[in-house]
Amino acid sequence: MGAVSILAPVIIAAWPAFSSAVVAAAASLGYQVASEAKNQAAAAAQKLAQPVRLEIERSEVVTDQLGRDQHMTVTRSGITVTFSRDARGRASLHVTGSGQSQEELRALGEELSQRVVQQYVYQKLMDEMRKRGFNVVEEEQNEDQSIRLKVRHWEN
Amino acid sequence: MPLREFDITIGKTGEVELHIKGYKGRACHEAVKMFEQIVGEMKSQRETSEFYEPDEQVQFNIEQRH
Repeated sequence: MGAVSILAPVIIAAWPAFSSAVVAAAASLGYQVASEAKNQAAAAAQKLAQPVRLEIERSEVVTDQLGRDQHMTVTRSGITVTFSRDARGRASLHVTGSGQSQEELRALGEELSQRVVQQYVYQKLMDEMRKRGFNVVEEEQNEDQSIRLKVRHWEN
Repeated sequence: MPLREFDITIGKTGEVELHIKGYKGRACHEAVKMFEQIVGEMKSQRETSEFYEPDEQVQFNIEQRH
């Protein structure tokens, strides 16, 4: 071995890459994508009572002027989560539901936002490793929900 | 041809634990730098014994003298 490192993820993504991670994360937790459209989802979310708002730390969704109002909404059993890019460019989510406490909604939002970060890192690593000529020789999902990858490359 | 290998665990919060194998010295630093560019901020790092082994080229030169 050469080194063992721990890295904290930083999300700097265009909307397509970010929304791709949202779709994968939502599907893995049983959510369905409700809509992805400018303004529409945000307007719908605002009508629901007392949403819990969370930010995804160390995130920046880069976009051009035209893409600034993009949102994506996912739902599961009466829970609605809307992802968007806030005014500072940070990825944020609004969680609403009926019958859940604010703490329960916050916990659901945190679970989903963590999964989005994990899926973003997974997709980016897979993409970058392949670009650099590495082969993924093992991939498994552990019981603690972590993802393990083994990648190899024979260097000339 | 040296085998380069990474054992990567993406935790449920997105934190990445990276085990680098087959890299020594400066090459290992460069591999870590590549992952910093892909993933994000370095939180901690521990070099293993292989890190301190001489590079392949240096080892080869020493053997030539004997």
